[in-house]
Formats: sequence, C-alpha cells, structure tokens
Amino acid sequence: MTKRTSMLRDTTISELCRSDAAGEAAVEFVLDEDAFRGFYERTARGLWAYLVRLTGSREQADDLLQETFYRFLRAGSEHENEAHRRNSLYRIATNLARDERRRDVVRRILSGAEVEGIASLEGGGDAEGKADLSRAMASLRPRERAMLWLAYAEGATHEEIAGTIGVRPGSLKTLLFRARRKMAGLLSGGAR
Amino acid sequence: MKRVACEFEADVLRAVWGSQWPEELRTHAAGCDICKDVAAVAGAFDGAREELAGSAELPDAGRVWRMSQLRARREAVRVAGRPITAVQVIAFAGATGLIGAFFGATSEWFQALVKRVDLAGASTALMKVLVEHGAFVGGMAAIVLLVPTAVYVAMGRE
Repeated sequence: MTKRTSMLRDTTISELCRSDAAGEAAVEFVLDEDAFRGFYERTARGLWAYLVRLTGSREQADDLLQETFYRFLRAGSEHENEAHRRNSLYRIATNLARDERRRDVVRRILSGAEVEGIASLEGGGDAEGKADLSRAMASLRPRERAMLWLAYAEGATHEEIAGTIGVRPGSLKTLLFRARRKMAGLLSGGAR
Repeated sequence: MKRVACEFEADVLRAVWGSQWPEELRTHAAGCDICKDVAAVAGAFDGAREELAGSAELPDAGRVWRMSQLRARREAVRVAGRPITAVQVIAFAGATGLIGAFFGATSEWFQALVKRVDLAGASTALMKVLVEHGAFVGGMAAIVLLVPTAVYVAMGRE
C-alpha cells in the first residue's frame, strides 16, 4: 500500500511524554477528554466500518479514522446534540475519503499500479455472500456506496445522509432510489 | 411521475433488521418494487456492519486524544511561526533596500561609476529585450513570483 503521511501515526509515545513533561498547555478542543472518550467509544467502530466500505481498504480506514477524529476535534463547531455531532463526524470522514480517492487516482496514474480491490476485504464465514456484497459495492460509485451504507447499515435519515454527502435533501430520494435499484440489480446477479 | 420512494420503506427496514415480517407488510413488499429493493439491500447489509465493525482493531480513545493534542500543539506552534517568518522576509528586504540606498548616497566611487555608465543606452537595450522577449521575461517573472507563493501555500496546508 502507498505510504501516506498520517501525522497521528508518526507520533510516538515518547514524544507525547516529552510534550507532557515540558508542561505544554493543552489545546482546547470542541469536546473535553471525558466527553471525547464516550463519543469515540460510541462511534469509532461504526465509522471505521463506513470508511472501509467507502475506501475498500482497512489500512486506509485506519488512517482516515484517526484523521477524522482529529479534524472533528479541531473543527470547533458547536453541536446541538449527539446526532448532529455524529453527522458532522461522518461528513468529515466522507470528505476525507473522497480526497484520499482523488489522491489514489493520481498515484495510480503515476505508478500504473492496480488498486486494491474491495472484494479482498472479506474472508471466513459466509465468504461467498460477503464477496457478492463487496463486489456489488465495488461496482457502485463512491457516493452511492456512502448513501446506501448510511441508509441501510447505519439507519440514517434522508436529511442526515444529505448533510453527510453534501447534496440537497430534495435530491436525495431520487439519488437513493437509483443507487438502491443498481445495488439490488447487482445483488440479484443482473443489471437493471 | 415515477415513484422513487414508498411510505413503507422504514417499516421494511425495521422488518429486515428485526427479522419479523407482519403478514400485511410481506404482502405489500412482494408487490412493491421499491420495498423489494429496500429489503434486498438492507438484507445484504444485515449483520455486515456489525461483523465488519467488530473486526476493527482501533486505537483506544485516550491515545487518539493525546495524539490529537500533540498534533494540535505542533500546528499551533507552526502557525504562530508563519507570520513571524513573513515579517522577517519583509524586514530583510526593507533593510537591504535601505543599506543599498545609503551606500548609493554616500559612496563616491559608486556615484562616479553611475556617471560613467551610459544609462540611456542601458535602458534602451533593456526596452529592446523586453519588446523582443516580452513573453519569456513575463513568464520568468511570473515563475519567480509564483513559485515561492505556491511553496508557502503548500507548506501552510501540510
């Protein structure tokens, strides 16, 4: 996999200890540490699964997850409630995944390398069924993947999905309808 | 107008997730293309999210918090340093200009040299170069101006 510059990954524990020992003042984030811990525990796994489905790579999802939480903390936005906070987090993740995909396209063009397939994500259990799901997902556009996953795996509302992927709520029903038709067609083994 | 949504979608979704299909809903879904698609897609995702999420090996919240703190501190230091760097560049350029002006005003040999140089001839030659190679000179000037700006912006984004 191509090396990315994840500043969080590059940070070592000894650097953290040095920083604390130096008595550097804490940076104020949108949440305090306890609130962040709770929010992270509630959202990180679902967000990671979403990122895996969007990017098709567990490694990318690992990096993007940390980057997403960092940007969320730094954004300084006020949130009305947990759902609003969660939408904000997913919107950041969606944008990061899109940017990463664009960089991947450039890297692929420059190197002529094959892209890691989404179908390679699955293994064990009902491997055939999972591979079908992965292949079907891989055939969709990234925005379609995001919409369907948010709607039918996360149970997000239309308004939440529209906010996350950056489309008008009025357009979402039609977009979701098309994506769902396409996915159902792929799952049943034929194009519709 | 083509139907793109059905009022029973949410019920179908709940039925798939809960594996409980009331007879009426089952009958409806069997004859509704939209609900059939919802059932197919939601059924394919059913369990996939939990299984995938369960397989994640995530860093703990405390580590993510502490790393974010350290990164934010580093960025704050870098951002604070950038205006100082810009001020330093401006100050250096200003100081160089002042020294040059002072030197030009006080140095006898420099003034004598200026008198000996054919300024009119030099400016004519310069104008000739500009007219003949205007595009090239303009391009070079743009590069000289744009490259440092682009580097500055790129470094600022990192």
